[in-house]
Amino acid sequence: MKELEDRLCSYLRVKLGAPDLVVTGLSRIPGGASRETYRFRAHYSSGGKKLDRGLILRRDPTASLIETERTTEYRAYEAFYKLGLPVPEPIALELGNEALERPFFIMSEVENCAPGTILSPDPYGEHREKVGKQFFTVMGKIAAADPKKIGLGELEGAKDVNAAAMHELARWEKVIEEDEREPQPIVRAAIRWLKKNPPPPAQKISVVHGDYRSGNFLVDDAGNIRAILDWEMCHLGNPLEDLGWAIDPLWAGPDPHKPGGMIPRAEGFRIWEEASGLKAEPKELLWWEIFASLKGAAIWISAALEYADGRNSDPINAFSGWYTLAVHNKVLADRLAELDA
Amino acid sequence: MRPEIGTILGLTAQRIVMGLGDQGAAYAQGSAGLIAILLSASAKEYERGADIRFTENAEIRALFAELAPSVADAGLRRELQDAAAAKDKSLRISDLNEGNYALRRLLTKLQIDAEEHGARDRRQRIWAVLKAMAQRRLVQLGP
Repeated sequence: MKELEDRLCSYLRVKLGAPDLVVTGLSRIPGGASRETYRFRAHYSSGGKKLDRGLILRRDPTASLIETERTTEYRAYEAFYKLGLPVPEPIALELGNEALERPFFIMSEVENCAPGTILSPDPYGEHREKVGKQFFTVMGKIAAADPKKIGLGELEGAKDVNAAAMHELARWEKVIEEDEREPQPIVRAAIRWLKKNPPPPAQKISVVHGDYRSGNFLVDDAGNIRAILDWEMCHLGNPLEDLGWAIDPLWAGPDPHKPGGMIPRAEGFRIWEEASGLKAEPKELLWWEIFASLKGAAIWISAALEYADGRNSDPINAFSGWYTLAVHNKVLADRLAELDA
Repeated sequence: MRPEIGTILGLTAQRIVMGLGDQGAAYAQGSAGLIAILLSASAKEYERGADIRFTENAEIRALFAELAPSVADAGLRRELQDAAAAKDKSLRISDLNEGNYALRRLLTKLQIDAEEHGARDRRQRIWAVLKAMAQRRLVQLGP
C-alpha cells in the first residue's frame, strides 16, 4: 500500500502542479466491484491556499464483474458534474500503465455520506420518501439531457430509436453466450421472449446510466442524494432501460412495489415522467423490466465465471454468481410464466 | 450452481491465508462481512446441495416422461424418453451436475418445441417445473 501511495503522490504532484503535495490515509474501500476503489487525502497548496482534499482513486482490476470502459465512466462524471447533477467532481484520468500499473481515474470524495445496501429492508429509514423523490427526479434529468449537447453523443450504444432495445439485448446475449458454463434454461427462455415481443421504438436516445439503482448513490444524514456513482456501464439507448433496472425486484427490498424501500413505483414513474418529459408506458416498460432481470443474470453469470476460473477471487463475485443469479432466475421464471399463462 | 461450494471454500481459504487487512480496515471489514455470508450460505448448501440436484433431476425426468408422448418430433421424443429413463450416476455433486446440465439443455429444447407448436398446456407444465427449480435454488442468507 505504501508503494501505491508514493506512486500516487508522484503522479498527483505533476498532474495538479503541486510539488508540495502529500498523500495520506490511502486505503481500499469496498463497493464498486468493477474497479479497485481507494480513499485517500491530498494535502497541497494551490493559489496561496492550503488544501486538504478527500479523493477517490478508481483503478482497473486484473479482472472484474463486467468489462467496462473507465473513459466512459470518467466522461459521464465530467458531463453530469457540469450539468449540476449530484456526481463527484472528476479530477484526473490516466489511461497508461506507467503511473499506477493499470489505468485509473481520480475524483473527489463525497464525504459524510453512505450508500443504502440492497440487503437492508429499509435502507433510507425516515428519509425514504425524500430520497425516493430525488432518486426518480435525477434519473429523469439524466434521461432528459441531450447526449450531444453534454458531450456524450459518441458514447457506445444505440444511435437509432428503432434499434435501442435489440442493440442492448444482443450485447448481453453475447456475454451470456461467452460466459455461460452451466445451462440456464430460464435465462434462455427470457432471451426468446424478449426477441419475440420487441418494444416500440424509443421515445428518444438518451444517456443511460446502466446501473442506476438503490445502493449506487450516496445519501447524507439529512436524506439528500449527494452523488450518483458507478457510471461504468453508461451508454446511449432507451431511457426506459434505467427505469426498468431501477425498479427490478433485486433492488426492491421486501416490497417489490417500493424500489429500494423508497416510494411506490407509480409515484416514482410520475416523478420520472415530469423530470424527463417522457412517458413510462406500462407495456413498453414491461419489456425493459424483463430485460433488466436478464441483464442482471448476464452480469452474474460473468461474475461467476471470473470467480470460478480464479481470475478474481473477490468474494463479491462469488456472492453475485450465486445469490443474485438465483434471485434473477426466480424473478424471470415467475414473470415469464405469468406472461405465458 | 456456479461457483460450486468447493471453489468458494477453496478461494475463501486462500484469501484468508493471504490476509484481508493489507489493503485497509474498511476493505477488510467489507470482505470479512461478505465471507461470513458466503460461509453461512455454504453451510446450508452442504446440507441441501445433493438433495436440490437430485430432486431437480427427478422432476425434469418426470416432466419428460409426461410430455414426451405429445411431442411430434420423433427425434426429440426419443431423446426425452431416453433421458426420462436414465438415472444419476451417484449422489456426488459432480455426477448430479453432469446429469443436470444435460437435462437442462434438453429442457430448453422441449420448451422451444412447445413455444413453436403453440402447446399452451405443455408450456405451463414446463414453467411449473422451471419455477420450482428457481425457488429451490434460492440462496438462504438468514438463520
